[in-house]
Amino acid sequence: MAISLRNLSVDYSLQQGTAHALRGVSLEIQEGEMLGLVGESGSGKSTVALALMGLLANNAQVTSGTATIEGKNFDLTKRNATAALRGRGMAMIFQDPMLSLNPVFTIGAQLCEVLRRRAPGSDRKTRVEMAQDALAKVKLSNPARRMNQYPHELSGGMRQRVVIAMALLSEPALLIADEPTTALDVTVEAQIMREIIGLRDRIGCAVLLITHSLGLVTEYCDAISVLYAGEKLESGTVEEVQRQPGHPYTRMLFDCEVPIDRQRHADASENRFTVIAGELPDPRLRPPGCIFNSRCDVSFEDCTTINPSDYPVRNDAGHSARCLRLRTP
Amino acid sequence: MTDAISISNAQLRFGETVALDGVSLSIRRGTCFGIVGESGSGKTTLMRAILGLQRLDHGEIRILCNPLVHSRAALKQRAGFIQPIFQDPAASLSPRSRIRTLMNEVGTVLREPHAATRERLGVILNRLGLPPGVIDKYPHEISGGQARRVAIARALLMKPSILIADEPTAGLDVSVQGDLLNLLQDIRRSDNITLVVISHNLAIVRLIAENAVVMRAGKVVEGGEIGSLFGSPQEVYTRDLLAAWPSIRAANTKR
Ligand SMILES: Nc1ncnc2c1ncn2[C@@H]1O[C@H](COP(=O)(O)OP(=O)(O)O)[C@@H](O)[C@H]1O
Ligand SMILES: Nc1ncnc2c1ncn2[C@@H]1O[C@H](COP(=O)(O)OP(=O)(O)O)[C@@H](O)[C@H]1O
Ligand SMILES: [Mg+2]
Ligand SMILES: [Mg+2]
Repeated sequence: MAISLRNLSVDYSLQQGTAHALRGVSLEIQEGEMLGLVGESGSGKSTVALALMGLLANNAQVTSGTATIEGKNFDLTKRNATAALRGRGMAMIFQDPMLSLNPVFTIGAQLCEVLRRRAPGSDRKTRVEMAQDALAKVKLSNPARRMNQYPHELSGGMRQRVVIAMALLSEPALLIADEPTTALDVTVEAQIMREIIGLRDRIGCAVLLITHSLGLVTEYCDAISVLYAGEKLESGTVEEVQRQPGHPYTRMLFDCEVPIDRQRHADASENRFTVIAGELPDPRLRPPGCIFNSRCDVSFEDCTTINPSDYPVRNDAGHSARCLRLRTP
Repeated sequence: MTDAISISNAQLRFGETVALDGVSLSIRRGTCFGIVGESGSGKTTLMRAILGLQRLDHGEIRILCNPLVHSRAALKQRAGFIQPIFQDPAASLSPRSRIRTLMNEVGTVLREPHAATRERLGVILNRLGLPPGVIDKYPHEISGGQARRVAIARALLMKPSILIADEPTAGLDVSVQGDLLNLLQDIRRSDNITLVVISHNLAIVRLIAENAVVMRAGKVVEGGEIGSLFGSPQEVYTRDLLAAWPSIRAANTKR
């Protein structure tokens, strides 16, 4: 069953004024698929995850938004709207695995606790076996020994595997991974991504992968949504969006990415890099017109006054972007 | 061509940990040299050793042909020709002094009148795209990208002939990362500086460096001219690193 998030708006109250971190963001993830949510830091990616999980900071307020998960609707403006889903219908992997692990309990105890909450009737022995089995599934070496170890005895990559094992045991309908590999080396990153894919394929859940790396998205995701300054500017299948970005911002993001096989100038000092000039607008005061206007390289007069709605790209129902250049006259 | 830095058989342990295990390499003047490898492989330790901030157990480091001497006077003198840009720019900017104070210190070290330092600083800030007002701020009042620029400005103010940068783009968005790299490229061209870049970003090192080494567990696994190192790596580890790199493939060749 598809997961959907509709019209999510989140404000943070600041000492001076209110930051509008998200404005009317909608996402859809098909069952068994992975959606990559990309955008510069500060664009609101983590806020989306935290709003879904009900883990927003105290100064945050959800001003609008509903979610549909496992066929049920949740009004996200209510505190603890999705509390019933935490640890069951939804699971989250943070960049720092220690946010999900308790330093004073063994790995085994924490995995068994997930199972106890999920299947209260099960006996201890079964839980231990299942926990150990989960560690083996995420390819943690020596699972029997790991059960009795504490988080601090493991490396960063191993801890992230434990968190994935926990998610595996909770069998969520939606798995949210917020920059799960940003702190890891490339070789470990590739392994962790493979485990996340493995988890998805085992339980058939939807995955929301939050990342600033388009490389990861094109390599592992089915669909992509692009967030900029709290607004979604484009979404579609990875293939379509990559082939023909509908929004100039998406195109510029792809241009900034440095492929490992890029044409290389013989004189290394001649190799140049792409930049998106300018900065994110002040989240307290939205400029009129298109939110990306001040940094856009193809903007025209209307862009300063008209806030574009979502237009289909190439008549493709699944691919849309908010750019006035897509208007059909 | 002479070497800017040459290292032979550098060895260093921290207790049980072998941080540097017989590292040898040489970096030609005026070139860009990349040091890549997984975390914990000894890259930062090697940088600290080159700067004379960390003594080796064995081995020798020569900077511009002179053996490294560990005295306060030598350290100070070295600052005139080799400058670091540390990974955490905030760490090289004292949190309690305004950026102006930090820059003025450079004049003191160089025994240059403050007015002259200030004039050079104005030129450097302008070139790095930093507003002149930045010097009245405290480090916590500026963004990560700006802090890195300030660290570079301070390094350049010392008029070094060698610049050594530890993970210069880590934590930066792709939209601003290119700006910093273009800047380093410009500096190289105009000032004929030797640039050493430590990075786990293989794609970037491949484009800016002429030569590089791949480190692992304190050892140089493989090194050489960048085209052949990345084009036809000889060691399994180098191949694994390259294979793990998430790459943007052409859309129509996917799957
Ligand atoms: N607790 C908070 N209080 C105030 N502002 C916040 C808080 N958390 C996030 N923000 C702001 O909300 C915006 C979006 O942040 P975030 O969701 O963390 O973005 P991302 O994950 O894309 O980097 C940013 O402008 C950030 O500064
Ligand atoms: N001051 C120190 N004391 C003890 N161990 C250290 C110290 N500095 C580095 N190490 C260890 O030396 C090894 C190399 O570290 P480092 O040079 O920081 O690697 P890299 O920069 O490649 O990530 C690591 O195992 C690290 O834990
Ligand atoms: Mg975030
Ligand atoms: Mg380091």
